[in-house]
Amino acid sequence: MKTAEYLFGPAGALFWPGVIAALAVAVQGALLSVFVVLKRMAFIGQGVSHAAFGGVGLAVLLNLAPAASFPLIAAFCIAAAWGIAWAGGASRSRRDAESSDTVIGVALVASMALGAILIAARQHAAGGTGGGGAPPWEQILFGSLLAVGRGDALMAWASAALVAGALAWFRRPLLLCAFDEPVAASMGAPARAMRVLLLTLLAIAVVSAMKLAGVVLATAALVLPGAIALKLSQRLATVLALSVACAVLGVLGGAAASFELDLPPGACIVAALTALYLLATAGRAITDAAPRRPDPSPGAAP
Amino acid sequence: MRFRNRSYAHHRMPQPPLEFDSVSFAYPGAAHAAAALSRISLRVDEGERLGVLGPNGGGKSTLLRIALGLLPGYSGRVSVFGMAPDAARKRGLIGYLPQRSESELAFPISVRQAVLSAASWRVPPWKPPPRDLRERADHAIDLVGASAYADRPVGSLSGGQLQRALIARAIACGARLLALDEPMVGVDAGGQRIFADMLATLHARLGLTIVIVSHDIRSIAAGCDRVACLARTLHFHDSPKGLTPQVLAEVFSHDMAGIFGELHVDAHAADACSHDHGPGEHHHHHGDAGLPAAAPERAG
Repeated sequence: MKTAEYLFGPAGALFWPGVIAALAVAVQGALLSVFVVLKRMAFIGQGVSHAAFGGVGLAVLLNLAPAASFPLIAAFCIAAAWGIAWAGGASRSRRDAESSDTVIGVALVASMALGAILIAARQHAAGGTGGGGAPPWEQILFGSLLAVGRGDALMAWASAALVAGALAWFRRPLLLCAFDEPVAASMGAPARAMRVLLLTLLAIAVVSAMKLAGVVLATAALVLPGAIALKLSQRLATVLALSVACAVLGVLGGAAASFELDLPPGACIVAALTALYLLATAGRAITDAAPRRPDPSPGAAP
Repeated sequence: MRFRNRSYAHHRMPQPPLEFDSVSFAYPGAAHAAAALSRISLRVDEGERLGVLGPNGGGKSTLLRIALGLLPGYSGRVSVFGMAPDAARKRGLIGYLPQRSESELAFPISVRQAVLSAASWRVPPWKPPPRDLRERADHAIDLVGASAYADRPVGSLSGGQLQRALIARAIACGARLLALDEPMVGVDAGGQRIFADMLATLHARLGLTIVIVSHDIRSIAAGCDRVACLARTLHFHDSPKGLTPQVLAEVFSHDMAGIFGELHVDAHAADACSHDHGPGEHHHHHGDAGLPAAAPERAG
């Protein structure tokens, strides 16, 4: 059992912050993922997380300390989220060919290109092949458990508390607006503000997952747990609970697999969540295929 | 209120639920400069049921969206319960059923939850929904006849059931004016009776003022006291019986045949009456000259 050896051995202090941060990422991602899946925001999440790469590039170019680069990356992600919210609002008219989908696609590649250029510029400036203080590509793209320190773990839990708190505080208008934006607006509910809130929380969750899971995998926790839970239940409270449970299970299982097999943890966590997703999909397909008893409730017609 | 003593001072009644005074509107950046609405004046009294009949692209949805305060930039005066439309909307005085529902039916919530969320979204987060709001939600479900499936997920409902659930939602927010945009799209013949009965119940039990806009005369016939025909300008009639083929021909211009195929309409009379928009322009407006009942309305 390498897992116990790593965590409880002499080098345990190296691994614990990563695991603890991963749990925070799992919890906040799981709560948000229910909305992300229901509102079809997975691609928005991708756009926001890839926008972080531009922030990482700028931080590397300026040779910023991790504590200073965090707000910079967060600023990139939140700006991307707000830009997407604005584009989504502006293109609500169907006459507008430029949908928010297009804007996300553009922002995503532009930010990746910007990050790549800035990091390369830093490496040139540092002269030659050395990293010039830049973290390795692999770590930026796919994350690293070992790169996560105590401060990062604390930050991740602060972010999780913020996300969970905001969702709880605004749960009523959020549910109303998420269910049907035009009708919610007609009832005087702040539909647009709720959309911006959701996107901002999404950006915060992405940033806190960035070091651990990297630009590419950061959105895994924002999509997979909700997608799994929504296959298993049709009650909102149950879905939220299942989503958190699946995310925690995926994180712990993935981390253990990564320790045992000496594989990258971010990838293992995503693989574990994907396995759960496939299981849930298969389970749902089997249930749906089973013959249903006819609906007994009166008034089922028309 | 500013307008109280102007034209309707003799009515010592509360402010009318809906009043338009010479309202015009054109969509900004529209390919052609034609107004979507031109000098519309109407007044709907408390408890009245008005049907607004008109062709696709005639400005029906525009009319409703202006009344809801969702479409600024009109000229003229609009008041809803004596307030600016925006203020009335923010007080939840209007229950609105849009033409195409954008409800996320994958949401794992029951009909009761969906209706309660409309009734209780203003409740502060640290409080449970108070008893009267929960009762209001249950009452709304009861009135539309959705009690039997109130605890089923919204995604499992039939079209007719969903429509009733959405109407329950619209009235549960405390609306005094119910605005329905094309409520009969996708409702079958059996559903029409149920729908008409439901509207009659809502009207009788809640004293709701109801405005229905539609291109489909079945929606209007479902129970309106008064009918107005809208094709950018408005023509009033006292009852659905006042709708003669000539009036319909005028309002619907060329495309009434698709809707009122069984009615005999003199084509020449129709041509003569289509004074404010030609057929080509009309096509341009909604871009779909196919079956009107199925054609999604874009700008109107």
